[in-house]
Amino acid sequence: MKEFTINFTAQNKKIKVSQGTDLLTAAIKSGIMMHAACGGEGLCGKCKVVIDKKEVLACQTIVESDLNVNIPKESLEIHTKLAHESEEFTKGVVLKREDAFKFSPLVRKIYLELSGPAQDDNLSDLDRIYREISHKFDNLRISTSLSNLKHLSEILRDSDFKVTVTIACKDDALDIITVEPGDTTKTNYGFAFDIGTTTIAGQLIDLNNKNILGTRIAFNKQALYGSDVITRIIYASNPGGLAGLSEAVLDNINEIILDLSGAQNIALSDVYSVVLAGNMTMMHLLLKIDPANIRKAPYIPTTTVFETIHAPEVGVEINPKGIAAFLPGVTTYIGGDTVSGVIACGLAESDELSLLIDIGTNGEIVLGNREWMIGAAASAGPAFEGSGLECGMKAVKGAIQGAEIDGDINVKAVTVDGGKPKGICGSGYIDLLCQMLKRGVIGKNGKIDGTLKSKNIRKTGSGYEFTVAEDIVITEDDIENLKRSKGAIYSAIISLLNKVEKSIADIKKIYIAGGFGNYLNIENAVFIGLLPDTDRSIYEFIGNSSLAGARMSLLSRDAFMKANDIYKNITYVDLSSEPKYMDEYVASLFFPHTDLGRFPSVRL
Amino acid sequence: MAIELVKEKYGNAINIVEIGRAGSSSIKIGGETTLPFLFREGSMPNEPVAALEILDSDPVDWPDILREPFGEAIKDPVKWAKTAVEKFGSRLLCVRLQSVHPDYGNRSSGESVSVLKAIVKEIKVPLIVIGCGDDEKDSDLLPKASQALKGENCLFGIATQENYKTLTATCLADGHSIISESPIDVNIAKQVNILISDMGFDSKRIVMHTTMTALGYGMEYVYSIMERSRLAAFMGDKMLSMPFILFVGQETWKVKEAKELGLRQGVNWEIATSVSMLQAGADILVVRHPDSAKAITNYIKEMMKEEGK
Repeated sequence: MKEFTINFTAQNKKIKVSQGTDLLTAAIKSGIMMHAACGGEGLCGKCKVVIDKKEVLACQTIVESDLNVNIPKESLEIHTKLAHESEEFTKGVVLKREDAFKFSPLVRKIYLELSGPAQDDNLSDLDRIYREISHKFDNLRISTSLSNLKHLSEILRDSDFKVTVTIACKDDALDIITVEPGDTTKTNYGFAFDIGTTTIAGQLIDLNNKNILGTRIAFNKQALYGSDVITRIIYASNPGGLAGLSEAVLDNINEIILDLSGAQNIALSDVYSVVLAGNMTMMHLLLKIDPANIRKAPYIPTTTVFETIHAPEVGVEINPKGIAAFLPGVTTYIGGDTVSGVIACGLAESDELSLLIDIGTNGEIVLGNREWMIGAAASAGPAFEGSGLECGMKAVKGAIQGAEIDGDINVKAVTVDGGKPKGICGSGYIDLLCQMLKRGVIGKNGKIDGTLKSKNIRKTGSGYEFTVAEDIVITEDDIENLKRSKGAIYSAIISLLNKVEKSIADIKKIYIAGGFGNYLNIENAVFIGLLPDTDRSIYEFIGNSSLAGARMSLLSRDAFMKANDIYKNITYVDLSSEPKYMDEYVASLFFPHTDLGRFPSVRL
Repeated sequence: MAIELVKEKYGNAINIVEIGRAGSSSIKIGGETTLPFLFREGSMPNEPVAALEILDSDPVDWPDILREPFGEAIKDPVKWAKTAVEKFGSRLLCVRLQSVHPDYGNRSSGESVSVLKAIVKEIKVPLIVIGCGDDEKDSDLLPKASQALKGENCLFGIATQENYKTLTATCLADGHSIISESPIDVNIAKQVNILISDMGFDSKRIVMHTTMTALGYGMEYVYSIMERSRLAAFMGDKMLSMPFILFVGQETWKVKEAKELGLRQGVNWEIATSVSMLQAGADILVVRHPDSAKAITNYIKEMMKEEGK
């Protein structure tokens, strides 16, 4: 087959592809992030490129010769520039519960000084090791692989029976994954991951002292194949589609592993464990399990529980003997990320009625206590993650995370890192909406008051926009989008409460999770009607709870086992089949709410 | 043994809205303390009223059956209005300033308002004034119309979530009542009412149009939205305690069956739809055919007689 060279002029990138390849695939292969919301179906019209001054869709253009292709800025995923400089700022959020579970990492190293074999102590080499460690692990079943046995006798004798064994907990059994000469217990590292549809967060943990050595977030590279899970599932049904999606997210994971361990001068061979929490679609795609039925009614995944397996089986590049463990999920819509969040906040161990709200693309909500739990997913959309908004961004460097507006409609914006603003993240939008309401910049319906005299209010082709900082605006469309998001979450909370005939006043603790950075103004979130108007002291902001739960599971086998209890105990409520949900939803499409009596503390 | 009827007792009443200059010819609507005509449970101090609808120019696209009762007068809005009031006894008149709409003549606001002024000069009954339906044109037309009728205490429309500000401000300044519209949704109905009240407009001068459709086109949905809205009002929701206005004529006469199936079909369709809407809680029914208006008025009289029992 003929090969042709495609020159992406604006990016200064060349790539050789075979005849018949489409330009979108060529762009992806050369590492250019392009918009392709429809996953290359030719429907969304976002992957426009220019060839010989003619505008065409990249996904519908087949290579038949060498080409110069100009990709205009609008067709590029804006995320690209953030993918590498993205350090998440949730480090500031340290959970009080970090020590709730006994310290017993999923992978442990134990240094053994064994007594040598003798006439009256004639156990085999392997049993000699088992004898030493079994009592340390409640006499769980222990096994090891053949490959470890081949040279075991040599290792033991060369090291004078002083060895370090690395033991992985696999559900209810132990697996000796390596036996090394001497004492190497000082080097045992693991990674916790939160695999989200939009973003992936990873954390490097020193498993000897629980220290977090670094955190990275990156935009999920699967976005190249579609911005939402549905288009990705459709893409997965193409030949090679599932493999491509899996590779994309593995790329993310391995990049973060390499990046963080490199920064700490840690050898990949010293990383033995990875714990991943993610929604069900992400888990299916990562593990190359056919996700087709997730998007077809009645939306059944292949599995919600995944056995702990060897890292190379997944494709995670750590010590090849290392393991990958996954937080179990409840249903298609309440995945391991939510169960991980429940672990992180301790809802399942409390006597009091608690509520966990994870504000993300799917706003997952779990209500309950140690005896019962119900959960639902509100289709909130990614607005509070900064996606789909004019100047939205994640809580990374340069993101406006808080703002105040004075009586003269001047804005004072604060970024996550104190630097120059580049965009607005979720918590920034919450503050802005609240302040705009208070200052009358917007009405209760979210429309900007064009009659207000302010240099910051400007009319555009599609309504009004409000200038927050230089080149950073919030548009009426943005506000509409945010209003729908906050309405979806609030109405889901109320619907769950109604389901069990409880009221907001019955809730004793509310945990807010989400990628908001290290800051979320609860007062303002209540003011705009995102969160219920109740005692502020019961609120606790816990940041990325999915990542926190994965970290806790990495550090404690007990936590991981608890997760395997929790997923069985959460009853899923399908909001789309709740007759009153739609009504609740429309009622909440107002600031703060159509029923103002529900927000007595909000005075407008 | 006699069966004891279960009677509902509500704590809140629908607002009473007065249209027209206080005194002789003004009309009061609303004030219900119960669902329609359930006089054992509560009262309806003001009976619902049928208003005839006229336009500010010759309605050339109206079917003959609608034009025929008014004869030549329909070509002149002032004469048309006089016929509606004097010959057909309409106690309330709805003037739709349609000729300003780009698709229906694209006349200037000034021309339309001068027609409106001429009508007011000749007619003594209270007026409902409706814009042309084009947001941009209405934002110029309605303030002018409102000013021209300052002090007449008309009912002006139509305010929606998107355009309520201009109309609310102008009605506030000129002392008119206002129609708030929402797309068959209780929550949005309430939201529009809140938005209008938030501008300092007295919520007791709002009349709601929750949008409707003609018989056979999903009217039962309209019914349930009105019923839910009413029940919420009786339970104490002040932001839903507004009387209802329904544009029955506008909906009926665009229905294919009403226009095409025999001459009387449209009239019957208009009556049947109106009667159903009365049972849903309608306070004002805007209709186009004088025979419909007459039949509906008779029906209301019959239903109201029950009150004596």
